[in-house]
Amino acid sequence: MAAAAVHVSGHDVVAARYSDVDPVYAETRSIRLVGFMLFLISDCILFSAFIFAYIYLRSSAPIWPPIVDGHQLPWFDTSFAAMNSIVLFGSGVTMHFALENWKHLNKQKFNRWLIATIVLGIGFLLGQAHEYSVVNITWAGSTMGASFFTLTGLHGFHVFIGVCYLTILGIQANRGVYTGSKYFGLIAGTLYWHFVDVIWVALFFLFYLW
Amino acid sequence: MHAATSTTHEVHDVHDHIHPPPEGFVRKYVFSLDHKVIGFQYFFTGLLIMLIAGSFAELVRLQLTDPKGAIMSNTAYNEMFSMHGTAMVWLVLIPLVTGALGNFVMPLQIGARDVAFPWLNMVSFWIVPIAAILLFSSMLWGGPHAGWTEYPPVSLLDGTAGALWCAAIFTVGISSTMTGLNFMTTIIMMRAPGMTWTRMPLFVWATFATALMNMMATVALSAAVGALFLQHVFHVPFFDPARGGSPVLYEHMFWFYSHPAVYIFIIPAFGVISEVISTFARKPIFGYKMIAFSSMAIAILSFTVWAHHMFPSGLAPWLQLPFMILTYAIGIPTGIKIFSWVATLWGGRIYFSTAMLYALGFLITFTFGGITGIFLASVPVDLHAHGTTFIVAHFHYVVAGGSLMGFLAAIPYWYPKATGRLMSERLGHIGFWLFFIGLNGTFMPMHWLGLEGMPRRYATYEYFAKAFPDAQFWNQFETGFSFLMAASIGLLVFNVVWSIKHGKVAGINPWGARTLEWTIDSPPPYYNFKKIPDVFDRPYDFDQPMPYRNTDNVVAPYPEYGAVVMAQPAGAGA
Amino acid sequence: MKGLGPGFWSVTLLLTVISLVNAWYFLFGSIDWIMPGSTNPVANVTYDIDGLFKFMAVFGGAICIYVTGYVIYFAIAFRARAGEPADAVGAAIHDAPTLEFWWTALPTLLLIVLTGLSIVVWYKIQFGVGSATGLTTEVIGHQFYFEFRYPGLKTSIFSKTEPMHLPLGVPVRVLITSSDVIHQFWVPEIRLKQAAVPGLVQNLNFTPLRSGTFDIVCSEFCGIDHSKMQGKLIIEPVAAFNKWLDGEKQAAAAGGGTVDLSGGTAAAGKALFAQKCAACHQIAPFDQKLVGPGLLHITDDPAHPTLVTGQTPTAAHIAAILQNGFSGPIGTMPNAQANGLAGKDIANLVAYLTSLK
Repeated sequence: MAAAAVHVSGHDVVAARYSDVDPVYAETRSIRLVGFMLFLISDCILFSAFIFAYIYLRSSAPIWPPIVDGHQLPWFDTSFAAMNSIVLFGSGVTMHFALENWKHLNKQKFNRWLIATIVLGIGFLLGQAHEYSVVNITWAGSTMGASFFTLTGLHGFHVFIGVCYLTILGIQANRGVYTGSKYFGLIAGTLYWHFVDVIWVALFFLFYLW
Repeated sequence: MHAATSTTHEVHDVHDHIHPPPEGFVRKYVFSLDHKVIGFQYFFTGLLIMLIAGSFAELVRLQLTDPKGAIMSNTAYNEMFSMHGTAMVWLVLIPLVTGALGNFVMPLQIGARDVAFPWLNMVSFWIVPIAAILLFSSMLWGGPHAGWTEYPPVSLLDGTAGALWCAAIFTVGISSTMTGLNFMTTIIMMRAPGMTWTRMPLFVWATFATALMNMMATVALSAAVGALFLQHVFHVPFFDPARGGSPVLYEHMFWFYSHPAVYIFIIPAFGVISEVISTFARKPIFGYKMIAFSSMAIAILSFTVWAHHMFPSGLAPWLQLPFMILTYAIGIPTGIKIFSWVATLWGGRIYFSTAMLYALGFLITFTFGGITGIFLASVPVDLHAHGTTFIVAHFHYVVAGGSLMGFLAAIPYWYPKATGRLMSERLGHIGFWLFFIGLNGTFMPMHWLGLEGMPRRYATYEYFAKAFPDAQFWNQFETGFSFLMAASIGLLVFNVVWSIKHGKVAGINPWGARTLEWTIDSPPPYYNFKKIPDVFDRPYDFDQPMPYRNTDNVVAPYPEYGAVVMAQPAGAGA
Repeated sequence: MKGLGPGFWSVTLLLTVISLVNAWYFLFGSIDWIMPGSTNPVANVTYDIDGLFKFMAVFGGAICIYVTGYVIYFAIAFRARAGEPADAVGAAIHDAPTLEFWWTALPTLLLIVLTGLSIVVWYKIQFGVGSATGLTTEVIGHQFYFEFRYPGLKTSIFSKTEPMHLPLGVPVRVLITSSDVIHQFWVPEIRLKQAAVPGLVQNLNFTPLRSGTFDIVCSEFCGIDHSKMQGKLIIEPVAAFNKWLDGEKQAAAAGGGTVDLSGGTAAAGKALFAQKCAACHQIAPFDQKLVGPGLLHITDDPAHPTLVTGQTPTAAHIAAILQNGFSGPIGTMPNAQANGLAGKDIANLVAYLTSLK
């Protein structure tokens, strides 16, 4: 249906498009959605395991930041990381708009918002690279370094995969692999990208605010 | 006009669409997407590795026939028991009970054409041989030495072998997680129309509970061995006390997975027992809802008891209490199941097929192992028993006498469906008695040896033989009986191979069982069901007609095989 | 089918009798064949733990007996027989709520009682009884021997050459740690074990009740010679114990002499510190104790202007502690011999420690 004067939610717009006509696709989509949500849950637990390790090590350390070579390690610089976080959260917002535009069949706007998302994602990764270069701790030198680099590294790896994934999605969307009613890949990409944001909220709190 | 939700099943002709069959040897047998073929692949891989890991166990047993160590150095012995445990846990048990059984049976039992993500299923299988190569290649560098648990700091002395061990476990963990995710989605989303949760076969409930644990717990193991790998290769100090790390942290991360892992071993076996006992007693499983509910309760509780493996190991004292209480608690749903199965036997009409013999043996040995688990749940008693052969006895009773026995029951039960032939009942019966007697002879003395003072993972036991002069006799006794178990497995392999050509033709329902897999051809066509059946009742009412519509075949509700048995006096095998 | 089946009550009676025999055996018979020394407990906790074990053997045994018995009986009584029609089925029973209630409630009750009993014994073991007035000793695990330390004794006792001694009737707290990998200190006849974890100090509390010589066993895999890591524990009357300890103290006092500090390098000392000292000391402020105090400010801490010996923190005085060890309210520091320090080691360590600020 063409865009209505009253705003209709993307979900209803799409649901109206295929559920009656193509129940097999509807079911396939639900199956993939369940599978993808379960995948995100297991990924969440992976992060939780390392977060548990960090909390355990930090709580049982006699002093934090720990002392290495006779000197106490410095706290992390919250302001730079806060800026980088805004970049990442911003990319979550842009991804949301990208998907909404796709649902409303606005391919051009979709492309713009998707590119914005990818750019902001790369920006975040560059920010992390900068953070790694200025931070005065090593991976192997202390439990602070161990937890910080392992957790943010795992997260950064997820962001990197996400950037690649979104790029591939953009290429496929423009090749016509996805239609106005069949675009599960875009939904999965959006969910994954939001997941990466949520994990970062936790990590930012754990390393920069706590 | 809000459309119907995606769970609508009204348009049957769309579901009955069958894809064209795969072509070519590679698509059919190597990189197959068919859950049945993948099940076979897991089965043969698991069985092959079981033979290797079992041989390592026999070497361990031979070593212990002499308190000074009969056949090898301490280093070699340490490598043997470590490889035995590691391979058995991750490359044998989990692939066999989840990968082989779950894959072959579960989609058939829910009336599906395949699992939710067949390509993911194929990848999940192929990861297992890769992990096996990684693990066995570690032996070129001496192999792991610190047991299947490989605690740091001592495991860090394993060098390259230790890093390879971590890589192997991390790799196989990916397979488990993906399989769990796949099975959960399949069971939630792809059951045949009319199969509500309370009309599912109990093996499907078991597969669901197992998949939940697989999916949620394995990633914690990946984190633990991942961190250990980082310490091996990059010296990242998660577990190094000199730089603020903690060896106890590894234990927490490792056991958070490894306790649910033991329930991953056993719950599919519970599912098999439910199917087998019901079928061969010709009556409904007693307490269906409680058995289903208790499987889920065990799956959830399994995440809360891990530190009972760590009572003497560095836990804060106050932490021991909740873990002790929860470990006792998890015994209740397990006990309910045992009692329900025994009650299922009452008033039945019992056929002593090979599968049923294993199920009956299971009830005896698993109960015994479960009770010794209750002993260990108590912190004070565990402080004595931890690290001794009492623990080895406990877990072999529940794993070999529970999980493996359940799997040994599953093989003759579903082999006819998978191959179209019955296995030899005579060989099966002999194999059962060898296994049952061998198991008890091998592991029973370990209980008192352990409590008397014999630790586990001891390459030699001269100190203990001085204090306890019978020690050598009992160890030799155990070694002797272990060969009965080995013979049983050898016989099993022979039976599996021999019966493909020489077994009696099975027909579609030799056991007169009532779950959906018994309504289609043996072996099933690649598409399983020509038309997806409709389910209108629960599966275990043997006095009723089969509760399905649109099934491929009309099936008699009593065993064709029973007609053969009836010609002989009661209790005889084939 | 009549009632509950042919012979059901006879079988139940038989199983009950067997369970009662099992109970009688564990409660009144000797279980020395499975729990060593249970008829003559070595420590106070031994008696309690054996009691728990017996309780569980009685009820756990009963459950196994009934389950095994009924499985065999039902299999025989309800077997399919030749004369019956092929399509005959078993009784169409799905559940029996009353039965299920009882077989849930009774085991739950049993487990609640067991939990209560376990908690009582657990408390005794973890927190001791009056151990503030008793003896505190230390055990340090090494690959592949135990090291024992006593208050007031500068040197250590090594399980390779000598046994551990404990006085009869005195509540003892054993502090346990490790210098390298995880070990476990276990005395089977007492029933207690605890892990020796590097970087942690664990404790065990018990009161010895019987004299004798007992085995100490390492029960956590610790490397190649894990199976050779044992020791002996001698429990003896208080007077004999004190005589032994005094003898050890006199032998230790005969050590001493000055240390040559020339040629020590801080770099070598730093490496040696990580290897030998880091298990017990951090390079951190004094209060950041692992086992011993933090040593970052050993030469310049305004809150601790002297060493634990009361001397000024000069190189020579630090060297003296390394050479002779130290024992006092803060704890016991082993001497050079115990720590395996030789040659230039002390000089290197002193160079390193005095370089810290």
